[in-house]
Amino acid sequence: MQVTFKVYRKDPEKDGKPTRSNYTLELAEDATVHDALLKIRDEIDSTLAFRASCARGYCGECMVRVNGSARLACTAKVPDYLKKGPEISLDPLRNVPVIKDLVFDWDAFMWNKIKQVRPWLEADGSAVNGEQPVSDAAMQDLRKVMSCFYCGMCDEGCTVLPVDFDFLGPAALTKAYRLAFDPRNKDSREQVKIVEKPKGIWDCVHCYEADEHCPRGIEPTKRIVALRDQAFKSGITHEAVARHHASLAASVKESGWVDEGRLAIESEGVTNIKGLMKLLPTAAKALARGKAPIPFMHSKRPEADRIKKIFEKAEQEEK
Amino acid sequence: MQEFDVLVIGGGASGLRAAVAAKRAGASVGLVSKVHPLRTNSAIAQGGLNAPLARDDSPDSLAADMFIAGDELCDRGVVKAFTQEAAKDVLWLERMGVPFNRDKDGRLDLRAFGSNRRNRTCYADDRTGHIVLQVLHEQFQREQIPSFAEWFVTSLVVEGRTCAGAIALDLRSGKLESFSARSTILASGGFTRSYLPSTASLGTTGDGQSLAYEAGARLMDMEVIQFHPTVFPKKQGLLITEAALNAGALIVDQNGNSITDLTGMPRHKICLAIQHAMQNGGGSVSLDLRPIGKEKMRGYFPQTQELLRTVAGLDATKDLVPIRPLAHRPIGGIETNGAGETSVAGLFAAGECACNGLNGAGRLAGNALTEAVVFGRRTGEAAAKHAAAGSKAAFPTAKLADEEKQLARIFSPETSADSLGKIHSELGHLMNEKVGVIRSAAGLQEALAQIQTLKERYSKLRVKNPSRIYNYELTSYLELGSMLTLAEVVALAAQARTESRGAHHRSDFPERDDTNWKSHTLLSRAEGQPRMQKKAVAAG
Repeated sequence: MQVTFKVYRKDPEKDGKPTRSNYTLELAEDATVHDALLKIRDEIDSTLAFRASCARGYCGECMVRVNGSARLACTAKVPDYLKKGPEISLDPLRNVPVIKDLVFDWDAFMWNKIKQVRPWLEADGSAVNGEQPVSDAAMQDLRKVMSCFYCGMCDEGCTVLPVDFDFLGPAALTKAYRLAFDPRNKDSREQVKIVEKPKGIWDCVHCYEADEHCPRGIEPTKRIVALRDQAFKSGITHEAVARHHASLAASVKESGWVDEGRLAIESEGVTNIKGLMKLLPTAAKALARGKAPIPFMHSKRPEADRIKKIFEKAEQEEK
Repeated sequence: MQEFDVLVIGGGASGLRAAVAAKRAGASVGLVSKVHPLRTNSAIAQGGLNAPLARDDSPDSLAADMFIAGDELCDRGVVKAFTQEAAKDVLWLERMGVPFNRDKDGRLDLRAFGSNRRNRTCYADDRTGHIVLQVLHEQFQREQIPSFAEWFVTSLVVEGRTCAGAIALDLRSGKLESFSARSTILASGGFTRSYLPSTASLGTTGDGQSLAYEAGARLMDMEVIQFHPTVFPKKQGLLITEAALNAGALIVDQNGNSITDLTGMPRHKICLAIQHAMQNGGGSVSLDLRPIGKEKMRGYFPQTQELLRTVAGLDATKDLVPIRPLAHRPIGGIETNGAGETSVAGLFAAGECACNGLNGAGRLAGNALTEAVVFGRRTGEAAAKHAAAGSKAAFPTAKLADEEKQLARIFSPETSADSLGKIHSELGHLMNEKVGVIRSAAGLQEALAQIQTLKERYSKLRVKNPSRIYNYELTSYLELGSMLTLAEVVALAAQARTESRGAHHRSDFPERDDTNWKSHTLLSRAEGQPRMQKKAVAAG
């Protein structure tokens, strides 16, 4: 079959402006995008830069966008992308700094972020003499998480990263989960403390795109939610978002609905004078329109005690 | 110039383990790797790691199985050290966070694997290598060891028989840099990309063995290459772990009849049986994974199932998987002792690029990763000790300028009808055809002649892409040079060994010849020419 590849190009030694090269080549029916790239480099244009390593779906190195969607070049079969005609576009991942052609900056995109979560286990100091028995259920969960092959598709699909590139992102947060939930880690609170800071777990908007994108079904969003729960459980709740959660739950438990005035104040922090001052203009405007909720002067909704019971039951089950 | 006590070349399992060990022994360490450590070939190991942990097991039992797989070519002292330390090193990995599969009591689940006669293989589903690699990389990061990922080593610097470090190209900036080191550890992996298809990653091109050979080190038992019996042979070659056989899978001929019970046989015997079945029946051989059952398949072999679907388009629970033995891991490599020392002072080697006589003529399934951690650690410690004890060889700074000139000669805008890809493809098929599972004098003679022709064609090629930034034409050029060098060495050693032993099978010498060949082959370069020597197998 004859196929034309329209490939994104960028040359850091020239003006660095993106262009596109078109390559038309003959390929076998079972060719992958990786086969095509190798053929282009070997026979048509040796300046084309792209990465690859295992070439059979183990390692995640050859991520590329094929007709707009992020794929591993080595498992993407060319005929699957020809439904609209004999042309295929190849681009680097979205929202990632590109170094040259299809070679983008994995360091900035993922490796450096993983480094930030203290990505190692601290073993307890005793000498290695014999096994430490742990349940296979705990290990099975970790094996699932560690089936991650760092393809970056979760980060590529993330809706926060395009707005804030400094967000740690689902891949790094999933790594933090692997350490925070390993029963053999001497101080698993370490990772929770790190990811609980700004640009971490509270910046996730639970759009679940990461879960949709992950080719291994690791469900990064679920891992982020678990880290949030862990933060609450271990009493690491000083961040505004965590206070927001606590206040919301407390007011719904007590009154059956949200006490918005209280929520605003408690989210900022009752001793945070500077933060509270910031609320004043909004409060004044709301007051002028007769819409200001008066904090702690909040009436219960009908049958609020039934809602309270639900809370109590859940709290009981947690214990 | 970068300066370290210990420079590690290679970011796979043995390199990372060596780096961590050297750092913990007090040395300053730097690690250079041509791909990011998590993209190295260690990630594709599946089956598991052997450790004699079961109550009915012992270092001696493990050694006994290794002697059978190694077909009496193992060096006993190295085997003894390995079998005694294996359990401790595997437990260290567990302590550092490898989520091994557990039994109902929460102890390490030990599975039957390959020709091990005890249950002694620790595993993490069917992605043991991938997960072990991650944990090693975690500990590597914990040690804050400077990592030079995507740096390609272009030469070792050897002055007066002593290695003083290396010169490497930073793919990202295109700059060459000197790395001065008291000890240099090669942990750069195998070279089975010189066979096409094979089970290897793209970078498994024998750069380290070739660099060491050029630097005057001896290569040992290079003719012994382990083929893996159960590989889907299309495209790049997709390995299906032998643990599948232990779990009930069958090897069947074209009529669907099971080829006599091969489970529990050493790899080389299974490979020969398959090869014979293919030749005699003139047909295909397949792996029938269906007896494993859907549930067990999903539970224990999730990656196998996924890759068969995405790469081969096959459903493991319904379809037969066509298989063929393909080149898997070289058993030969840079000659070392149990501390990883090579025949060049200050130069060490560990893992798949090294050969210390541990595996004899055939590696026991499940030993590769254990070997990487045991000898990675031992080599890291020995390199740190050497760095602390020895005086430092001055790094000849002029070498960098020489290397620049050397590199400049490779470039030329001239186009050619020939290409790196064509030469590589021809080499790969030639090696499978003539230096494969079954060899003969005539075939090897022909292989050597053709390798010579390929080398001549290679010598006329130049790199057209003038840039040095992410110039993969340049790295492919250097890699192909290494593969051609080693292909010749492999064929020469295979020609010399006029017997059949372990993974080395000669149709014209089908028997083992203990009178003449209870010895290793050693190849080194003398005055630009390969020189063969023999070394008796160490008994103690």
